[in-house]
Amino acid sequence: MNLARPDRRERLEQLAAQYALGSLPARVRARLAKVARRDPPVAQAIAEWEQRLASLAAAVPGVAPPPRVWTRIVARLGLAPPAPIASWWDRVSIWRSLTAAGFAAALALGVALYSQRPVAEPPLVAVLAGPDGKPALIASAARRDAFLLVKSVGAAPVDPGKALELWMLPQGQPPRSLGVLPAGAVVRLPLAAPSDAVLAGIPALAVSLEPAGGSPTGLPTGPVLYSGAIERMY
Amino acid sequence: MAETVPTERSARLAALLARVALADQQAFAELYRQTSPHLYGVALRILRESAAAEELLQEAYVSVWHHAGTYVAAKSQPLTWLTSIVRNRCLDQLRRREVDTVTMTSDADDEPAFDPPADGPSPTELLLAGAEAQSVRDCVDTLDAGPKQAIALAFFQGLSHAELADHMHEPLGTVKSWVRRGLERLKRCLDGAGYAR
Repeated sequence: MNLARPDRRERLEQLAAQYALGSLPARVRARLAKVARRDPPVAQAIAEWEQRLASLAAAVPGVAPPPRVWTRIVARLGLAPPAPIASWWDRVSIWRSLTAAGFAAALALGVALYSQRPVAEPPLVAVLAGPDGKPALIASAARRDAFLLVKSVGAAPVDPGKALELWMLPQGQPPRSLGVLPAGAVVRLPLAAPSDAVLAGIPALAVSLEPAGGSPTGLPTGPVLYSGAIERMY
Repeated sequence: MAETVPTERSARLAALLARVALADQQAFAELYRQTSPHLYGVALRILRESAAAEELLQEAYVSVWHHAGTYVAAKSQPLTWLTSIVRNRCLDQLRRREVDTVTMTSDADDEPAFDPPADGPSPTELLLAGAEAQSVRDCVDTLDAGPKQAIALAFFQGLSHAELADHMHEPLGTVKSWVRRGLERLKRCLDGAGYAR
């Protein structure tokens, strides 16, 4: 069927919207993508819907991909550019300020999405503060979540070429890395297992200043900027 | 109100894309630095597996390196363009998985478990963001509960019509009509409020 015909406008509009939304079944989706490749009006209708819905996607919390992703991209393409990780904390809240409008819309949708979730499990929380005692970061996780949410509430900007790395401070043992903090006002740091297991027996967390990409030695090499005790609400 | 920040940022990303089209490796690294957390977040949310999301992100950036020249600033915002590349690849992969599952097992009950990601913006941010963009939130708020949830699940989790029907325990026809009417209403409202571009 020729979707570009004027009398098919309404059907095209519906299909383009559902394509951009992502709800079309596999076969319809594949067929429409094929049609869009040779029919500019169809491609245009899809692009318009993607733009319309883009404000929603902008609110998805940023998650820093592991450094190996960049390494593989560079290897695949045979490039040798500098490491992409530089100052990031100065970009705090960038994804939110990007489209505050979309954020709000997504949140309204998010409420619909999350309202069906069972009651949240009790979390663990750590408020990390600097030497001046002022809170800089808040880390939290539900008991069974295999990730930490880290929110900046006053962390200082980090110089280019540097990064903040989060550490567990087990009693009487050397610190163990939880990874480099990705960019964003609220970021998600993946854990190897549910938080109550990974952080079992760990009394505190700390953040050190490291070269971009994280400590090369596996132990903190720069100054510890923030630290705080882990509080468990269970 | 929400216009000035995106414009400045879009201009910066568009400039980076233009340099990437000229094979500027430094610009590519900078583009990756500025956009990968967002794109990875989008991929993770839809694919729900970090290995798959990493793989997809890698493919997407390889494609961006090769096709940055096809980006047309007049037609879309740079981040929309990039996000669409990632979202569409994610959705294609999800749908392919379903086809594979059906072909291999022919078992309708063998749907992958639906497991919503557990993180989410805090109520404080909800309040702040809401105050900043009341009219957009109003648009979403005009949707009835069913359409709103169907659109949220499809958009953020990549559920298809059939999966939505399954998940929401509603007939397929009902869900399809929710999606269609919900999108129509969203379009009228968003376009009316001037958020289309």
